[in-house]
Amino acid sequence: MTTLALRGIEKRFGDFVAVKELDLELRSGEFVSLLGPSGCGKTTTLRMIAGFIDPTAGVIEMDGKVISSPAGSVPPERRQMSMIFQSYAVWPNMTVEQNVAFGLKLRKLPAEEIRCRVREMLDVVQMSHLAARYPAELSGGQQQRVALARALVIKPAVLLLDEPLSNLDANLREEMRFEIRRLHDEFRITTVYVTHDQAEAMVTSDRIAVMNAGRIEQVDAPHTLYTRPRTRFVAGFIGRTNFIDGVCNGSDIVFDRFAVPRGLIENGEALSGKVTFSVRPQSLTLVRNEAALSGRPSVAVTIAERAYLGEFWTYVVVPKEGSLRLRVTAPPLEVYEVGESAWLEIDPRQMAAIS
Amino acid sequence: MTPVADVLAQPAARSLVRRLRFIEPSMILWLAMIAVLVFLIASPLVRLVVSSLQEPETGRLTLDNYRQAYGSLRHLQALLNSLELGVGVALLAGLFGVPIAWAVSRTDMPAKGLVRLMVLGAFITPPYLAAVGWILLAGPNAGWINKLWIAATGASQGIVNIYSMPGLILVVAITSFPYVFVFTNAALDLVSSEMEDAAHILGAGKWRTMFRVTLPLVLPAILGGLIISFLEAIALFGAPALIALPGRFQVVATQLWQFFEFPVRVEIAAAYAMPLLLITVALFWLQNRLLGRKGYASVGGKGGERRLIALGPWRWVMLGYAGFVCLLAVVLPMTVLLQAAFAKAWGRGFSLDNLTLRNFRYLLFEQTQAQQTIVNTFVYGGATAFAAIALALAIAYVVSRRLVPWTNVLTFLCMAPFVIPGIVLAIGFYAAYAPPPLALYGTGTIVVLAFVTRFLPIAYTSSAAGMRSISPEMEEAVRILGGGRLLAIRKVLAPLLKKNLAGAWILVFIPATRELSSAIFLVGPQTRVISVMLFDLSEEGNFEVLSALGVILLVVTVAIAAVGFRVIGRDFMLRRSA
Amino acid sequence: MRDVLNTSRRTVLKGGGALVAMGLGLHRAARAQEPRTTSAHQKQLYEAAKKEGELTWYTAHSDDVTAQALGRDFEAAFPGIKANVVRTTAQVAFQRVSQEIKAGAMQVDVLSSTDIGHYVYLKDKKLLEPYVPENASKVLDIYKGYDPDGYYHVTSAGLIGMGYNTEKLKAEEAPRNWTDLLDPKWKDKIAIGHPGFSGYVGTWAVTLRKLYGWEFFEKLAKNNPQVGRSINDTVTMLNAGERIVAATAPNGTLSQSAQKGNPLKMIFPPDGAVLIIAPSGIMKGTKHPNAARLFMEYLLTPEASKIWIGHFNESMRPEVAPPPGVTSAKDVKTIRPSVEEIATGIPEVIKQWRETFGV
Repeated sequence: MTTLALRGIEKRFGDFVAVKELDLELRSGEFVSLLGPSGCGKTTTLRMIAGFIDPTAGVIEMDGKVISSPAGSVPPERRQMSMIFQSYAVWPNMTVEQNVAFGLKLRKLPAEEIRCRVREMLDVVQMSHLAARYPAELSGGQQQRVALARALVIKPAVLLLDEPLSNLDANLREEMRFEIRRLHDEFRITTVYVTHDQAEAMVTSDRIAVMNAGRIEQVDAPHTLYTRPRTRFVAGFIGRTNFIDGVCNGSDIVFDRFAVPRGLIENGEALSGKVTFSVRPQSLTLVRNEAALSGRPSVAVTIAERAYLGEFWTYVVVPKEGSLRLRVTAPPLEVYEVGESAWLEIDPRQMAAIS
Repeated sequence: MTPVADVLAQPAARSLVRRLRFIEPSMILWLAMIAVLVFLIASPLVRLVVSSLQEPETGRLTLDNYRQAYGSLRHLQALLNSLELGVGVALLAGLFGVPIAWAVSRTDMPAKGLVRLMVLGAFITPPYLAAVGWILLAGPNAGWINKLWIAATGASQGIVNIYSMPGLILVVAITSFPYVFVFTNAALDLVSSEMEDAAHILGAGKWRTMFRVTLPLVLPAILGGLIISFLEAIALFGAPALIALPGRFQVVATQLWQFFEFPVRVEIAAAYAMPLLLITVALFWLQNRLLGRKGYASVGGKGGERRLIALGPWRWVMLGYAGFVCLLAVVLPMTVLLQAAFAKAWGRGFSLDNLTLRNFRYLLFEQTQAQQTIVNTFVYGGATAFAAIALALAIAYVVSRRLVPWTNVLTFLCMAPFVIPGIVLAIGFYAAYAPPPLALYGTGTIVVLAFVTRFLPIAYTSSAAGMRSISPEMEEAVRILGGGRLLAIRKVLAPLLKKNLAGAWILVFIPATRELSSAIFLVGPQTRVISVMLFDLSEEGNFEVLSALGVILLVVTVAIAAVGFRVIGRDFMLRRSA
Repeated sequence: MRDVLNTSRRTVLKGGGALVAMGLGLHRAARAQEPRTTSAHQKQLYEAAKKEGELTWYTAHSDDVTAQALGRDFEAAFPGIKANVVRTTAQVAFQRVSQEIKAGAMQVDVLSSTDIGHYVYLKDKKLLEPYVPENASKVLDIYKGYDPDGYYHVTSAGLIGMGYNTEKLKAEEAPRNWTDLLDPKWKDKIAIGHPGFSGYVGTWAVTLRKLYGWEFFEKLAKNNPQVGRSINDTVTMLNAGERIVAATAPNGTLSQSAQKGNPLKMIFPPDGAVLIIAPSGIMKGTKHPNAARLFMEYLLTPEASKIWIGHFNESMRPEVAPPPGVTSAKDVKTIRPSVEEIATGIPEVIKQWRETFGV
């Protein structure tokens, strides 16, 4: 099994810095996503790991051996990796079977073993019945499976995926997310997955590295990332959130028209001065009358806007006599009219201080 | 010591070793190909410029060559004649090519397939064969047209004289109008009917729309075609040698040839070739500027719906015009060439007792050189096509993958031969590679090298376009699975580019089999090619044997083009972007 | 690469040649016969030449048909040696020789130019290989000892007169003497070769300049003759009916053509037909020295002379007489300039010609 480490990686294209001071370590068999908006440097990072481009500073190590450095890199063909491309890059001049067998042939395995492993792998991706087809005769999803099979069959040390699902339609995309995770659970290959789709990253990954403007903002498990974003960018990029500013005052943190005791907030005692919190709409609850409050910190609000999205309501509420606008979600049966008054309850455990 | 520290704390020398260890083995191949490119293109050109500025014996810097090259009225007159020829050809080629391209692309003119085929025919006819055909047609007294005229009207003299500037312009124009046709046709195919509809809605009629909207939209393409025709005309050697001499005038190419008469004055020829080079470069710069202004030329990509313009009875007029041009360009000259090839004496006309295979028998069995010459021609053509494509593909690959810095210099070098007239290239090659140390004179190698250089732009354009059409991920997928670049090229890129490359092969092969200008100074007795043999035979004016040799050349070429049609699909020759 | 190309070319050549031969039902093998009986010296040369396998002959001495016939006969006489016969005009042949000299890559083995000046130059620059063929002593006296040092030897001779198309012109209307060509009635009717290409025409021009001065050519230019390249081109022009009178008519080519039934006739002017004496020489640096020597011998054999007279050129050998009815040099008045006059004269007339005729 393989570990991968990126240390102080930087990539410049002329004056443009695509990736800067990037550090990331993958444990053996870990599935890590690089998540970020387009242009954040995630694909460049992936291509550096693959060896298609050299870093301008820093090193990449695989199992403790340097494979990329500004002085030169092990070429991709000698890295024992596999990659799945955005365009699938299934070779149209070869059949499904030939595509999958290609990497094995390069490894000069005996013909019988190649046949055997190709058949097994095609079974795994449920493509056995189409083995003799050419790629032009396959649907996008089927091509994607061929690409997966081709990449996995060689039992690579590291598997790299570059937005592999972005060309699929929505239903198929959802299905393939789980498929990729299933395959990872089956083979446990150290994997780096590049995507701009947070749902994809959350479904598939052990950890997610959120990238912005060439840097990693935060690397954490999906749940932590969602509940404890450390930066404004991460909080805003992963799911919806409210940013509220508070000031430390004695044992309380004071917000617009309400306060939360420090002790209820994780690491609350360490905070000082002005602090911004990310508060998820799901961690806020609307309560119709004061009597029903559970005792959590709360504030009287007025409903300013509402929208019904089928699975839930989204309300925008404003604390009475305040100016803060907060987004709240509520189950379909909790209906409020615009202008109505209500109470808003806050779950301090789900408040994340961000820098 | 950990590997990280190992890398970071390298002494300079060891870091170089490490660097070398990381280099892909295929890099050597790329560097070798780049070296070949520089060797083929930069070196003869530099040699040409340098020798134009040198005293031949001492190698001292001098302007004397220029004084000698331009110090004579006759030499200046030849320059002017070439300009007249170029302008005349460009205009006539435009007159022939543009209306036909418009009719084929935008109207409901009948028999389009046939017209296209004829244009293709004109495209593969070498200019010197067209010249022979037209000498037989329009020799002032004996040409078919004049004989018919005299017989019909009882006039004492014929009406057309091919041995004149207008005659030469006609001959060159009928072989170069396909360039205008191809450029214009390709651009017109991209103009959507919506553009024209917009004009119609505003009240413009059919013709007004054509002149005010459609044609201006493709003007840059037309100009591109005209420029190519102009350059073809001023660089051409064969047709002027056959026509200008009896017509008692010189053009630059024939004058250049004279500098190679004894005593060989390469340096003066080099000096005299400079204006040709400068004009060409200037025109290409102009063309680039014209074509570079987008929104005007490249006509909105997908371009919506295209409907054909109904011409009504006018379509027969258009067909008549297209037929007339095809008659001039292909039907008439081919008919008389065939007649002469199978005639005992061409002047005796189309009678059965005049029919003979003697000319072919003479060429194939009595002539000591023709067999070898014919084989040479096609072997060199084939070798040229393979070599040019291999080189072009390698360079296109290096450029598209940015394997080295300065890739645009490589592109420039690949395209540069396009602006070097063949005869100038031959002089450069002769100066650079004929003498020791390389001593390639009289070898097939120098002929093939010159041809490769000459036709590299065609091969490069095709290869680069093909390369662009294939996602780099196709290749990266090979590499990440453990295959090197060369394997990726062999197993994936080359199979995917098969059709492109086969098309490029034919596009190089055909002109290479008929190339005269760059062959004339480079062939030896063992390495003669058909074009040069035709030129030698033409000294004696033996048109029957000449035509027979021309027919052999054309038959083989057409056969190969036909195979190309079958394999690669129709139209591949007319769909070239230069 | 050179080797690869050559090998593949040869292979293809053989294959292709064999195919074509089969296709037309011809078998070259039929020609491979016993070598002709020759002297011990020539046998020796032949044996050595066989190892060289081939030779290249640049010739301007005749039209292509005659030259190829000589080449084929040589191949028949000495099986195993291939003759590469490259027929061009004298100046084009010499242009290629000069290119080869300049490039230091001699391709030609035997050069047969019709411009004597070429040999004077080559001998002077030590670019000729001296060789005196044993047959050189057996030729007609007038052809013997042309170069006392034995660098080059006369191997052909021919006459230049005028010619006309008998269908378009009656005999009594035809010009008789050279100066008749200046009559304005021949405007647009004359065909002529070019001294810048043809050695025959160059020598002719030198001769006529000596007879009549350059004004002759200035007046001739006013009659707008059609300028070809080879002297043989004038015969083609007469045959095609493009022109009626040939100002430079080679006796050999014209008579050959007339014999085939073309309506042509020679005119031998009373001021003298121009007699061209054309030598051949072996180039220094030849890669096939023995084959070249053997070829020099061959050009002076009775068999070669038979081919020459068969194509209406002069015989080199006393024992080979022209057939009756064929005009040869001894039957008409001939004139010819000296070697020096030709050597210095031809470059001059080429220059003057270009000024006067514009090409």
